[in-house]
Amino acid sequence: MEKQTRLKKQDLLPLWLRIIGMVLLAFIVVVTGIPMLNVLSVSLSTAANSDSPGLILFPSPLTFEGYSFIWKFTNLKQPFFNTVFVAVVGTLLHVFFSSLAGYVLAQDHLPFKKTMVSFVMLTMMIPSQLSMIGIYVLNKQLHLLNTYQGLIINGMVTGFSVFLMKNYFEGIPRSLAESARLEGASEFTIFNKIYMRLSLSGFMTIGTLEFIRKWNDITMTITLISDMKKWTLPVVLRWLLFDQAETSGTSYVYQNAKMAAVVITSVPLIVLYFFTQNFFKEGALVGSVKG
Amino acid sequence: MLYYICSSVTEVCMEKSLKKQVGKNKVFYLLFLPIAIYLILFSYYPFFTGLALSFQENKLIGKKGFVGFENYVSVLKDPNFVVAIKNSLIIGLWDFFLYFVLSLVFALMLNEVRLKKVRQGIQTLAYVPYLFSWSVIGGIWALLFDVRGVVNQCLGWFGASPVFFLASPQFARPLIIGMGIWRSIGYYALLYMVAISSIDTEIFEAARIDGAGRFSQIVHVILPQLVPTMKTIIVLLAMGILTHFDEIYVMVNPANRNQISSLLLYVYETGILSFKSGTASAGATLVMIGTLVVTQVFRSATKFDT
Repeated sequence: MEKQTRLKKQDLLPLWLRIIGMVLLAFIVVVTGIPMLNVLSVSLSTAANSDSPGLILFPSPLTFEGYSFIWKFTNLKQPFFNTVFVAVVGTLLHVFFSSLAGYVLAQDHLPFKKTMVSFVMLTMMIPSQLSMIGIYVLNKQLHLLNTYQGLIINGMVTGFSVFLMKNYFEGIPRSLAESARLEGASEFTIFNKIYMRLSLSGFMTIGTLEFIRKWNDITMTITLISDMKKWTLPVVLRWLLFDQAETSGTSYVYQNAKMAAVVITSVPLIVLYFFTQNFFKEGALVGSVKG
Repeated sequence: MLYYICSSVTEVCMEKSLKKQVGKNKVFYLLFLPIAIYLILFSYYPFFTGLALSFQENKLIGKKGFVGFENYVSVLKDPNFVVAIKNSLIIGLWDFFLYFVLSLVFALMLNEVRLKKVRQGIQTLAYVPYLFSWSVIGGIWALLFDVRGVVNQCLGWFGASPVFFLASPQFARPLIIGMGIWRSIGYYALLYMVAISSIDTEIFEAARIDGAGRFSQIVHVILPQLVPTMKTIIVLLAMGILTHFDEIYVMVNPANRNQISSLLLYVYETGILSFKSGTASAGATLVMIGTLVVTQVFRSATKFDT
């Protein structure tokens, strides 16, 4: 609600408070924006420039040598495509199975529904980080250690997504499904043709949130994957930034190449964010209501 | 047995209709079956395995004997675990407090910006770091606090000699806490902003007619309306107090280990890297109990469930 036209003195904070507020907001903008710009510029600088002291906000000369170095020489290609594969396939399966469960739980007149709901809800009480050892043991028994399948399957259904989809489905009028049923449509057709179509924004919400979770995941990856060749981007990035010098010792990775890796790891998410911004709000809202 | 003997005609009928209902919904149970199996296998089973392992020997192969509370005793006697408790509590409580207060102040200040474009721009920018993996945050901060980085350059203006921030024990905790704030306040501020925007404008009107200035509108209208959001955020944050992991895993090095190694890092290193499944599971179980207690304390302190 914009009320610029009716703005009176009464609706403004005292001047000194407004000044404090503006200074604070400016501080937040600078402190958030400058480091990101700094990283981007360093990644586009030459190796020698990037290692020289001081703040670089505009690279001169501008070069992509950091990117080509990190992409080819340290073979960042491999973890990049590992991560894309795991995140894309994992997200698709996650959306499918979580919404399927949400769909079942959205049915009314379903006997034992309460039991089923609490069965799913209880899984949300178990913090997955704390069953790390149990997850390791299970995946060992299933021979999923050091496989992409392991990364994809773990976290395929989460209570959060199930309930988010349940809420979406419950918002769709019953009469639609009823009339389709009367015309002899199967349950799967109803799910596919009516509920899927009308819940697109729900799918987008759990899809983007899950994609980000998978893309950024560190805990699950280092629990399941010990083979460096199968690491995902965040784990490789950490290694490049902090361990590489000690463990390989063969080549020095300049600051520009390191920052190029930072940019490569983060840019896909920023792009995704600008396309799907509204769903973030929705997800944040539901997440906070569920508590 | 007694139930069936005593059941009246109507109950038999009800039972029949229940059966009919179940039969009619057969397809839904069939659809739910794979989900149920999945959750039992990948959610319940690891949890109970962890619990069971905490009472068993640290043995990789063969049958693990039952050892009672031995693992719990040894974990509590382990100086590394004790250090981890201390670090987790210090970092966790600071994070808890600062996330809560700073994001609230940020949201209130942001809400005073009248130009919608500017307000949304700032909000979007502040949310961006929350998208990043902790490795990315680590990379950004490593550049900022590098010996040749911006921060050291600024310190240089005041004549200070360069500081090796990332390898200095005394800066380790402030850096971790700062990284968390840098990453998260945009997200929590967003939660507050959403709640503020849903406040009924009539309440503001009423306050205005009563002659309330903007400051008293904030104190008497916005803040009380935000109480439910505050409670939710408090409980959300409380659940995370003892479970810091990714950021610690990214930033830990031999120089700052004593200051920042956390409980979950202990669990990971003992269990996954050193294969001491019993000790690690005992540690994890203690963290879980601790988290339950902490969350419950905050739940009742904020009267969350009423």
